[in-house]
Amino acid sequence: MLPANGSTGTGSQSLTATINPVGSVTAPASASLTTAATTFQPFTGNVTVSYRARTTPAGGGSVTLSVSSDFTPAGGPSAASGALTYTCSGATLGTACSGSQTASTTVQTPVLTLPASACTGGGGACSSQNPDSVGLSFTLTNNPGYATGAYSAKVTFTISST
Amino acid sequence: MKRYITIVACCILALAGLAQAQNTGTTTLSVVVGPEAALTVTTGTTSLATTSTTFGNPFTGTTNLTYFIRTTKATGTGALTLKITSDFAGTGGPSVTTPPSTGDALTYTCTVSSPGTACTGSQTASTASSTGFGTWGAAANSTKAGNSASVAWSLSDDPVYATGTYTATATFTISAA
Repeated sequence: MLPANGSTGTGSQSLTATINPVGSVTAPASASLTTAATTFQPFTGNVTVSYRARTTPAGGGSVTLSVSSDFTPAGGPSAASGALTYTCSGATLGTACSGSQTASTTVQTPVLTLPASACTGGGGACSSQNPDSVGLSFTLTNNPGYATGAYSAKVTFTISST
Repeated sequence: MKRYITIVACCILALAGLAQAQNTGTTTLSVVVGPEAALTVTTGTTSLATTSTTFGNPFTGTTNLTYFIRTTKATGTGALTLKITSDFAGTGGPSVTTPPSTGDALTYTCTVSSPGTACTGSQTASTASSTGFGTWGAAANSTKAGNSASVAWSLSDDPVYATGTYTATATFTISAA
Protein backbone atom coordinates (compact mmCIF):
# COMPACT_ATOMS: atom_id res chain seq x y z
CA MET A 1 0.00 0.00 0.00
CA LEU A 2 1.32 3.44 -0.91
CA PRO A 3 1.80 6.03 1.81
CA ALA A 4 -1.00 8.60 2.07
CA ASN A 5 1.12 11.41 0.62
CA GLY A 6 1.80 9.42 -2.57
CA SER A 7 5.52 8.85 -2.05
CA THR A 8 7.06 5.43 -2.29
CA GLY A 9 8.69 3.51 0.50
CA THR A 10 10.73 0.38 0.98
CA GLY A 11 10.46 -2.55 3.26
CA SER A 12 12.75 -5.45 4.02
CA GLN A 13 12.35 -8.91 5.34
CA SER A 14 15.00 -11.20 6.70
CA LEU A 15 15.05 -14.71 5.23
CA THR A 16 16.71 -17.20 7.51
CA ALA A 17 17.42 -20.79 6.65
CA THR A 18 18.64 -23.13 9.31
CA ILE A 19 20.67 -25.95 7.84
CA ASN A 20 20.56 -28.88 10.17
CA PRO A 21 22.58 -32.08 10.15
CA VAL A 22 20.90 -34.72 8.05
CA GLY A 23 21.54 -38.37 7.36
CA SER A 24 19.82 -41.00 5.29
CA VAL A 25 20.81 -44.55 4.53
CA THR A 26 19.51 -47.17 2.12
CA ALA A 27 20.47 -50.81 1.77
CA PRO A 28 19.48 -53.55 -0.69
CA ALA A 29 16.35 -55.37 0.34
CA SER A 30 18.14 -58.70 0.38
CA ALA A 31 21.52 -60.33 -0.02
CA SER A 32 22.53 -63.99 -0.22
CA LEU A 33 25.35 -65.58 1.67
CA THR A 34 26.82 -68.51 -0.22
CA THR A 35 29.73 -70.89 -0.12
CA ALA A 36 31.51 -72.22 -3.18
CA ALA A 37 32.74 -75.38 -1.53
CA THR A 38 31.04 -78.28 0.22
CA THR A 39 33.72 -78.65 2.85
CA PHE A 40 32.48 -76.22 5.47
CA GLN A 41 34.04 -73.09 4.07
CA PRO A 42 32.27 -69.96 5.40
CA PHE A 43 29.25 -68.45 3.72
CA THR A 44 30.05 -65.01 2.31
CA GLY A 45 28.17 -62.16 0.67
CA ASN A 46 28.58 -58.50 -0.17
CA VAL A 47 26.28 -55.57 0.50
CA THR A 48 26.69 -51.99 -0.69
CA VAL A 49 25.08 -49.42 1.57
CA SER A 50 24.24 -45.98 0.18
CA TYR A 51 24.02 -42.92 2.35
CA ARG A 52 23.71 -39.15 2.27
CA ALA A 53 24.97 -37.06 5.14
CA ARG A 54 25.53 -33.54 6.31
CA THR A 55 27.32 -32.84 9.56
CA THR A 56 27.96 -29.58 11.37
CA PRO A 57 31.43 -28.02 11.81
CA ALA A 58 31.40 -29.17 15.40
CA GLY A 59 29.63 -32.43 14.76
CA GLY A 60 30.18 -35.72 13.03
CA GLY A 61 28.29 -38.88 12.39
CA SER A 62 28.33 -42.58 11.98
CA VAL A 63 26.75 -45.52 10.23
CA THR A 64 26.27 -48.58 12.38
CA LEU A 65 24.55 -51.90 12.00
CA SER A 66 22.77 -54.33 14.22
CA VAL A 67 21.11 -57.65 13.60
CA SER A 68 17.54 -56.65 14.27
CA SER A 69 16.20 -60.15 13.65
CA ASP A 70 18.45 -63.17 14.09
CA PHE A 71 18.54 -66.08 11.67
CA THR A 72 15.36 -68.10 11.60
CA PRO A 73 14.17 -70.80 11.82
CA ALA A 74 16.00 -72.31 14.77
CA GLY A 75 18.65 -74.96 14.28
CA GLY A 76 20.84 -72.94 11.97
CA PRO A 77 23.32 -70.09 12.31
CA SER A 78 22.95 -67.48 15.02
CA ALA A 79 24.30 -63.95 15.00
CA ALA A 80 23.72 -63.85 18.74
CA SER A 81 26.42 -66.47 19.10
CA GLY A 82 28.87 -64.43 17.07
CA ALA A 83 28.61 -66.37 13.82
CA LEU A 84 28.21 -63.31 11.57
CA THR A 85 31.19 -61.03 10.96
CA TYR A 86 31.89 -58.35 8.38
CA THR A 87 34.49 -56.01 7.03
CA CYS A 88 33.95 -52.57 5.53
CA SER A 89 35.65 -50.98 2.55
CA GLY A 90 35.51 -48.25 -0.04
CA ALA A 91 33.67 -45.52 1.83
CA THR A 92 33.30 -42.52 -0.47
CA LEU A 93 32.67 -40.20 2.47
CA GLY A 94 34.01 -40.79 5.94
CA THR A 95 36.14 -43.64 7.21
CA ALA A 96 35.07 -47.26 6.87
CA CYS A 97 35.33 -49.57 9.85
CA SER A 98 38.67 -51.25 10.33
CA GLY A 99 39.29 -54.97 10.60
CA SER A 100 36.73 -57.68 11.16
CA GLN A 101 33.63 -56.73 13.13
CA THR A 102 31.28 -59.16 14.79
CA ALA A 103 27.65 -58.31 14.13
CA SER A 104 25.48 -58.24 17.22
CA THR A 105 21.83 -58.57 18.06
CA THR A 106 22.23 -56.36 21.12
CA VAL A 107 24.60 -53.52 20.25
CA GLN A 108 25.29 -51.30 17.27
CA THR A 109 28.61 -52.06 15.63
CA PRO A 110 30.54 -49.64 13.43
CA VAL A 111 30.31 -49.39 9.66
CA LEU A 112 31.82 -45.97 9.10
CA THR A 113 32.57 -42.69 10.83
CA LEU A 114 31.66 -39.30 9.39
CA PRO A 115 33.86 -36.29 10.14
CA ALA A 116 32.76 -32.77 11.02
CA SER A 117 31.58 -30.60 8.11
CA ALA A 118 30.93 -33.62 5.95
CA CYS A 119 28.45 -33.37 3.12
CA THR A 120 27.34 -35.60 0.31
CA GLY A 121 27.64 -34.59 -3.33
CA GLY A 122 28.79 -31.61 -5.29
CA GLY A 123 32.52 -32.00 -4.86
CA GLY A 124 34.72 -29.36 -3.32
CA ALA A 125 34.33 -29.55 0.41
CA CYS A 126 31.72 -32.24 -0.07
CA SER A 127 32.08 -35.68 -1.53
CA SER A 128 31.99 -36.10 -5.28
CA GLN A 129 29.34 -38.81 -5.19
CA ASN A 130 25.68 -38.63 -4.43
CA PRO A 131 24.76 -40.82 -2.73
CA ASP A 132 27.92 -41.98 -1.05
CA SER A 133 28.47 -45.66 -0.51
CA VAL A 134 30.38 -48.16 1.58
CA GLY A 135 30.85 -51.86 0.90
CA LEU A 136 30.38 -54.59 3.45
CA SER A 137 31.58 -58.16 3.12
CA PHE A 138 29.72 -60.52 5.41
CA THR A 139 31.08 -63.86 6.57
CA LEU A 140 28.94 -66.48 8.27
CA THR A 141 30.56 -69.47 9.90
CA ASN A 142 29.67 -72.82 8.36
CA ASN A 143 29.23 -75.01 11.38
CA PRO A 144 28.57 -78.73 10.74
CA GLY A 145 26.08 -78.52 13.58
CA TYR A 146 23.68 -76.39 11.55
CA ALA A 147 20.64 -78.27 10.35
CA THR A 148 20.19 -78.15 6.60
CA GLY A 149 17.67 -75.61 5.35
CA ALA A 150 17.13 -71.96 4.42
CA TYR A 151 17.68 -69.26 7.01
CA SER A 152 17.34 -65.49 6.98
CA ALA A 153 18.18 -62.60 9.26
CA LYS A 154 17.55 -58.86 9.14
CA VAL A 155 20.34 -56.35 9.46
CA THR A 156 19.45 -52.73 10.20
CA PHE A 157 21.79 -49.91 9.27
CA THR A 158 21.52 -46.66 11.22
CA ILE A 159 23.04 -43.34 10.21
CA SER A 160 23.39 -40.54 12.75
CA SER A 161 24.52 -36.99 12.08
CA THR A 162 25.15 -34.06 14.42
CA MET B 1 3.38 -14.59 32.03
CA LYS B 2 3.39 -18.19 33.03
CA ARG B 3 2.07 -19.24 29.65
CA TYR B 4 4.77 -17.27 27.80
CA ILE B 5 7.55 -19.01 29.68
CA THR B 6 6.06 -22.38 28.84
CA ILE B 7 6.03 -21.62 25.11
CA VAL B 8 9.68 -20.57 25.05
CA ALA B 9 10.73 -23.76 26.75
CA CYS B 10 8.90 -25.81 24.15
CA CYS B 11 10.69 -24.02 21.31
CA ILE B 12 14.10 -24.62 22.78
CA LEU B 13 13.36 -28.28 23.06
CA ALA B 14 12.16 -28.42 19.48
CA LEU B 15 15.32 -26.81 18.14
CA ALA B 16 17.49 -29.09 20.19
CA GLY B 17 15.73 -32.02 18.57
CA LEU B 18 16.85 -30.90 15.14
CA ALA B 19 20.54 -30.98 16.11
CA GLN B 20 20.79 -34.71 15.48
CA ALA B 21 19.41 -36.66 12.55
CA GLN B 22 18.98 -40.41 12.43
CA ASN B 23 17.74 -42.75 9.72
CA THR B 24 17.74 -46.49 9.15
CA GLY B 25 17.76 -49.03 6.31
CA THR B 26 17.31 -52.79 6.43
CA THR B 27 18.75 -55.74 4.52
CA THR B 28 17.64 -59.34 4.80
CA LEU B 29 20.55 -61.77 4.72
CA SER B 30 19.62 -65.23 3.51
CA VAL B 31 21.62 -68.43 3.46
CA VAL B 32 20.87 -71.97 2.35
CA VAL B 33 22.65 -74.57 4.43
CA GLY B 34 23.15 -77.81 2.53
CA PRO B 35 24.71 -81.20 3.22
CA GLU B 36 28.49 -81.15 3.44
CA ALA B 37 31.29 -83.45 4.48
CA ALA B 38 35.01 -83.19 5.02
CA LEU B 39 37.74 -85.12 6.78
CA THR B 40 41.27 -84.70 8.02
CA VAL B 41 43.67 -87.59 8.40
CA THR B 42 45.43 -86.74 11.62
CA THR B 43 47.90 -89.57 11.35
CA GLY B 44 49.92 -88.52 8.34
CA THR B 45 51.93 -91.71 8.13
CA THR B 46 50.91 -94.91 9.81
CA SER B 47 53.63 -97.42 10.52
CA LEU B 48 52.63 -101.06 10.52
CA ALA B 49 54.69 -103.07 12.91
CA THR B 50 54.71 -106.46 14.56
CA THR B 51 55.93 -107.43 17.96
CA SER B 52 56.61 -110.96 16.82
CA THR B 53 59.77 -112.27 15.22
CA THR B 54 58.27 -115.67 14.53
CA PHE B 55 55.48 -114.73 12.14
CA GLY B 56 53.01 -115.13 14.98
CA ASN B 57 51.40 -111.75 14.65
CA PRO B 58 50.49 -109.53 11.71
CA PHE B 59 51.83 -106.04 11.16
CA THR B 60 49.38 -103.63 12.75
CA GLY B 61 48.86 -99.91 13.06
CA THR B 62 46.12 -97.33 13.48
CA THR B 63 45.21 -94.32 11.38
CA ASN B 64 43.18 -91.59 13.05
CA LEU B 65 40.80 -89.23 11.28
CA THR B 66 38.64 -86.28 12.17
CA TYR B 67 35.41 -86.03 10.23
CA PHE B 68 32.98 -83.19 9.67
CA ILE B 69 29.52 -83.96 8.39
CA ARG B 70 26.06 -82.50 7.93
CA THR B 71 23.38 -84.57 6.24
CA THR B 72 19.96 -83.48 5.03
CA LYS B 73 17.30 -83.36 7.70
CA ALA B 74 14.71 -85.83 6.47
CA THR B 75 16.32 -87.99 3.83
CA GLY B 76 20.05 -87.49 4.17
CA THR B 77 22.81 -90.03 4.23
CA GLY B 78 26.55 -90.05 4.61
CA ALA B 79 29.32 -92.49 3.83
CA LEU B 80 33.01 -92.88 4.55
CA THR B 81 35.03 -95.30 2.46
CA LEU B 82 38.65 -96.12 1.86
CA LYS B 83 40.64 -97.42 -1.06
CA ILE B 84 44.26 -98.39 -1.51
CA THR B 85 45.22 -95.95 -4.23
CA SER B 86 48.86 -96.96 -4.30
CA ASP B 87 49.80 -100.53 -3.53
CA PHE B 88 52.88 -101.52 -1.55
CA ALA B 89 55.81 -100.68 -3.76
CA GLY B 90 58.84 -102.88 -4.21
CA THR B 91 59.45 -106.38 -5.43
CA GLY B 92 58.92 -109.32 -3.17
CA GLY B 93 56.97 -107.56 -0.46
CA PRO B 94 53.32 -107.47 0.55
CA SER B 95 50.71 -106.62 -2.06
CA VAL B 96 47.06 -105.73 -1.80
CA THR B 97 46.42 -106.40 -5.47
CA THR B 98 48.36 -109.64 -5.82
CA PRO B 99 49.13 -111.17 -2.44
CA PRO B 100 52.06 -113.57 -2.73
CA SER B 101 50.31 -116.31 -0.76
CA THR B 102 46.73 -117.35 -0.29
CA GLY B 103 45.30 -115.68 2.76
CA ASP B 104 47.64 -112.70 2.70
CA ALA B 105 45.65 -109.49 2.96
CA LEU B 106 45.51 -106.00 4.28
CA THR B 107 42.47 -105.92 6.50
CA TYR B 108 41.05 -103.34 8.86
CA THR B 109 38.45 -102.69 11.49
CA CYS B 110 36.70 -99.36 11.96
CA THR B 111 35.82 -97.02 14.78
CA VAL B 112 33.50 -94.06 14.11
CA SER B 113 32.20 -91.87 16.89
CA SER B 114 28.54 -90.90 17.11
CA PRO B 115 26.53 -89.96 15.13
CA GLY B 116 28.33 -92.23 12.70
CA THR B 117 28.13 -95.99 12.47
CA ALA B 118 31.34 -97.94 11.93
CA CYS B 119 31.78 -100.82 9.56
CA THR B 120 31.15 -104.20 11.07
CA GLY B 121 33.83 -106.81 11.54
CA SER B 122 37.03 -107.09 9.57
CA GLN B 123 37.12 -105.59 6.09
CA THR B 124 39.62 -106.38 3.35
CA ALA B 125 41.17 -103.34 1.74
CA SER B 126 41.21 -103.21 -2.04
CA THR B 127 42.96 -101.39 -4.84
CA ALA B 128 40.05 -102.06 -7.18
CA SER B 129 37.14 -100.63 -5.25
CA SER B 130 36.28 -98.53 -2.24
CA THR B 131 35.34 -100.42 0.87
CA GLY B 132 33.13 -99.36 3.72
CA PHE B 133 34.31 -97.51 6.77
CA GLY B 134 31.32 -95.64 8.21
CA THR B 135 27.80 -94.46 7.50
CA TRP B 136 25.45 -91.73 8.68
CA GLY B 137 21.70 -91.30 8.58
CA ALA B 138 19.48 -88.27 8.09
CA ALA B 139 20.05 -85.10 10.13
CA ALA B 140 23.50 -86.18 11.23
CA ASN B 141 25.77 -83.39 12.45
CA SER B 142 29.33 -83.52 13.68
CA THR B 143 30.66 -80.92 16.05
CA LYS B 144 32.35 -77.78 14.75
CA ALA B 145 35.71 -79.20 15.80
CA GLY B 146 34.95 -82.48 14.12
CA ASN B 147 34.39 -85.99 15.42
CA SER B 148 36.84 -88.86 15.62
CA ALA B 149 37.21 -91.99 13.59
CA SER B 150 39.99 -94.49 13.22
CA VAL B 151 40.96 -97.54 11.24
CA ALA B 152 43.03 -100.33 12.72
CA TRP B 153 45.12 -102.03 10.04
CA SER B 154 46.34 -105.57 9.95
CA LEU B 155 48.77 -106.86 7.32
CA SER B 156 49.66 -110.52 7.10
CA ASP B 157 53.26 -111.35 8.04
CA ASP B 158 54.13 -113.81 5.32
CA PRO B 159 57.60 -115.43 5.46
CA VAL B 160 57.91 -115.01 1.72
CA TYR B 161 58.09 -111.24 2.00
CA ALA B 162 61.55 -109.99 1.20
CA THR B 163 63.00 -107.86 3.94
CA GLY B 164 62.72 -104.16 3.39
CA THR B 165 60.44 -101.16 3.78
CA TYR B 166 57.23 -101.01 1.78
CA THR B 167 54.78 -98.18 1.46
CA ALA B 168 51.16 -98.03 0.29
CA THR B 169 48.67 -95.16 0.15
CA ALA B 170 45.13 -95.37 1.47
CA THR B 171 42.65 -92.71 0.38
CA PHE B 172 39.60 -91.94 2.51
CA THR B 173 36.49 -90.46 0.96
CA ILE B 174 33.57 -88.99 2.86
CA SER B 175 30.32 -87.85 1.30
CA ALA B 176 27.02 -86.43 2.46
CA ALA B 177 23.64 -85.96 0.89
